[in-house]
Amino acid sequence: MQYIIVGLGGQGILFTSRVLGHIAVSRGEHVMGSEVHGMAQRGGSVISHFKVGDYSSPLVLTGAADLMLSFDQNEGIRNLHFLRNGGKAILNVHAPEAMENPHLKSFLAERQIETFCLPGYDILREKMGGRFLFMNVLILGAMCGASAGNLSMEEVRDAVEKLAPAKFKADNLKAVDLGYAHFAGK
Amino acid sequence: MGNKVILLGNEAIARGIVEAGCDVAVAYPGTPSSEILPAVAKFADELGTRTAVEWAVNEKVAFEVAATASFTGKRTCAIMKQVGLNVAADPLMSVAHFDLAGGFLIVSADDPGPHSSQTEQDSRYFAMFAKVPCFDPASAQEAKDMVFDAFDLSEKYRMPVMLRPAVRVDHCRQDVELGTVKDLARKADFKKDIRRWVCLPAHVKINHPQLNAKLDTVREDFETLYGRYNFEVPAKEKPRLGIIAGGVSFSIVMDLLKEWKREDVSVLKIGTPHPLPVKMVQDFIARHDNVIVLEETYPVIEMQLPDRTKLKGRWNGFVPRAGELLPEVIRDLVLAALGEPLPEAGVSELKAAIEEMKVTPKPPMLCPGCPHRASFFAMRKALPTGIYPSDIGCYTLGVNQRDVDTTIDMGASLTSASGFYLAYKTDGKDQPVVATIGDSTFFHMGILGLANAVYNRHAFVLAILDNSITAMTGGQSNPSVGEKLRQGDEGRRIEIEPVVRGCGVSFVKVVEPYDTSDSAEVFKEAWEHAKANREPAVVILRHPCMLLKQKQARVKVRVNPDKCIGCKYCTNFFNCPGLPFDETAKKARIDERFCVQCGVCIQVCPHGAIEAVEGEEE
Repeated sequence: MQYIIVGLGGQGILFTSRVLGHIAVSRGEHVMGSEVHGMAQRGGSVISHFKVGDYSSPLVLTGAADLMLSFDQNEGIRNLHFLRNGGKAILNVHAPEAMENPHLKSFLAERQIETFCLPGYDILREKMGGRFLFMNVLILGAMCGASAGNLSMEEVRDAVEKLAPAKFKADNLKAVDLGYAHFAGK
Repeated sequence: MGNKVILLGNEAIARGIVEAGCDVAVAYPGTPSSEILPAVAKFADELGTRTAVEWAVNEKVAFEVAATASFTGKRTCAIMKQVGLNVAADPLMSVAHFDLAGGFLIVSADDPGPHSSQTEQDSRYFAMFAKVPCFDPASAQEAKDMVFDAFDLSEKYRMPVMLRPAVRVDHCRQDVELGTVKDLARKADFKKDIRRWVCLPAHVKINHPQLNAKLDTVREDFETLYGRYNFEVPAKEKPRLGIIAGGVSFSIVMDLLKEWKREDVSVLKIGTPHPLPVKMVQDFIARHDNVIVLEETYPVIEMQLPDRTKLKGRWNGFVPRAGELLPEVIRDLVLAALGEPLPEAGVSELKAAIEEMKVTPKPPMLCPGCPHRASFFAMRKALPTGIYPSDIGCYTLGVNQRDVDTTIDMGASLTSASGFYLAYKTDGKDQPVVATIGDSTFFHMGILGLANAVYNRHAFVLAILDNSITAMTGGQSNPSVGEKLRQGDEGRRIEIEPVVRGCGVSFVKVVEPYDTSDSAEVFKEAWEHAKANREPAVVILRHPCMLLKQKQARVKVRVNPDKCIGCKYCTNFFNCPGLPFDETAKKARIDERFCVQCGVCIQVCPHGAIEAVEGEEE
C-alpha cells in the first residue's frame, strides 16, 4: 500500500503519517515513509510519502500511489500524477466547481481514479469552531468513511487516541468522526 | 528478541549514538540533521546514560569540542548539515591527521535537491578531501547499524570516521530495531603527547604518511570485511546492465527492479564510498558490458576509479550533474541505459487542467504573525533606498517582501554590509545598508563580522531579529535562549545587548517589531548615527517566534472593500498568508484559515483599508 499525503506546511501532515505508521506496525507490517522538514514547512507545499509492505525506498514513484490524502485542493490537483490507474484520492476542497474542469475529469476517467471530495474548511468552521488544525484527522476519518484504503475506522480511532496529545484527544476523535460521517453510508 | 519501533532516520542515528556508548554529542542544528541531537538527549534520558549532549554555537565549535573530548579515550560525535561541515572544515582537515584515542564520529547530513540548503554539495567529497573514511547509509536501519561500525573503525585506526546520511535517510520514517546500551565505562584519561596532539608542521611530516597508510588499510577492510554494506545483488539471467549504487539510490533501484520483476540487471551496492573498495568495483565493471553509477550528489565513487571509460554516470553527463535522484529520474536512467523506451507519462490532460486552473506550487512564506515580517516592513519604510544583505534563517524568506537583497551563508549579512559599505565609500557615497540576522545566527558567526565592522569603522545598520529561538530548523535553543537538552541540565542565557556593546557598538536600541511606526523611526535614527559616527548601529527587534505559541493580544481585522483600491502594496511589501489578493475582486482580503489576528497589517495599508473589527478584540 502506497500513500501520498499532500497539503501546506503547518497542516499536520507529519501526524497523519504517524497514525498510518502506528496502525501498520501494530498489524506487524513493515513501513517506510519520507517527510519534509525545514524551510519547506513554512506554509509552502508539503508532500509526504508513506509505504506499507516490503519496500526498500521511502519514496513513491509517480503513477504508483494507491491512495492520496490531500489537505489542500490545489496541492491535491498538482500531485494527482502520483496515483496509479484505479487509485483513490480524498480531497479537502474549498472550490468544488474547479473539480469540474473537463481536462481534469478526462484525466481522472483515463486513469480510473476515484475522488472523494469534502468541504473540510466548512465542516471544521461549523462543527469545530473554525479550528482548521484538525484537518488531518478529519481527512483520516473521511478515508475510512469512503472505504478507501484498507484501514478500519476502529484502527484509525485507536491510533489517533494513542498518539494525540491528551488535551486534544476528544477534539481529534470528534474530527475523525465528522470526516467518517461525511462519506459513510452514502 | 526484536524490539521494533517506527523512528525517523535521524532518530535511528541518535539511538545508535547512544547505544554505541557515546559520551559526548555536540551539534549545531541545520536541516536535514536537526532532529538527531534532541533524539540523542531523549534516548540518553530514557536509557539513563551519562552522555553530555549540547548545542554548540556553530559547527566548528561543535567539531572541536567533540573531537577533543575523544582525545581522552571516550567515544564522541559531532553532528551537522553539509554546509555546517564547511564551517567545521578547518578542524576536520587537522584532526584527520591525528592518531586519536577514543572513537570520533562525524555525522554530516546532505541535502540533494536541495530542499532546505544553499548548496547540494556532497559531504563524501569532504571525506575524500580530508582523507577520512565515510559510510553512506541506504535506510534508517542501516544508518543506525553504521554508527556502531563507524565508532569501531574509528577506534581500530584511531582516526575520525564520517557517517553521511542524505535527506531521504534523515527524514525517512521506518521500523527500526532497538538495542541496549553498550556500557564502555570509560574514564577520561588524556595522555599528554605533543607529537600526537599538537599539529606542528614537523608532526604533519610524520602524520600525513601515517594517515595515508591508515587509509590504504581501511580500503582493504572495506574490500573484505564490510559485506553487509558492500555487496552484489546478482542478476538471475545474463546481465544486460550492471548498476553501481549507494545511499537511497540503491533502495530506489531495488524497489524498481522488484516492481518490474527484472532478472537481467545486477546491482553492486556501495555503503562505504570512501575509501572506495576499488577492486570490488573494478571486478563488477569487468563482468558487465554496460554499467551505470547512481550516487548523490557528486561523482565520488566514479572519481576514485582509475578507468571510467565504460561507465555511464555523472562524470560523462549520462546521469544529471545536479538535482536529486528521485524514483522517476532513476527509472528513466535505468531504462535509457538498457536502451528501452520510457513509459508513457499519460499526464497531458492533467497538465492542461493544472495550466487552465493556474495551480502552482506554493513557495514557503514567513508564518502569519511572524515578527520578522513586521521588522522587514518597518526597515523598508524607514530606508527605502537601502541595500539589504541578509542571512540564513526563516528571515531569508524576507525575499518575498523584496527585503533581502543578498544571502551567502551563516553570518554574511554583516560581512556583506561591510562589503557594500566599502564599495560605495570609495566613491564617496553614503549608501544606506541594513543587514538582517537572527539571534542564533548572530551567535553562530555574526559576532566576528560585527567586531570587524566596528574595528574598521563601517557605517551600516545591523537589525538583529531576535525571536529567541532557532526557528527555521524547528525551534532549538541557543545562547539567547539558554536552555539545554538533557533533563536536569541548565544553561546560561547570554543577552545580546551587552555582547553588542562589548564589541564596541555605541548605538544599541531594542524595539517591539509589531509597532512598525516606532521601529521605522529607530531605523532612521540608527542610520543617521551610523553615518555620522562611521560605525555600525544596532537595532534589536525582539518578539517571540509564533511557533512558541505564547499568548498575545488578538486583533480581528477585515479589509474594507470600499477603501481597498487593489494597489497590492500589502501583498508586495507585507506578504502575509492571511492577507492574500483576490484576483477576481481585485482587492485584498483576509483568509481566516491562516490569519492569527496579530493586527500588524492595520499599520500597513496606505489607504487605511485594513481595519480592526470593533468589539472583537480579545
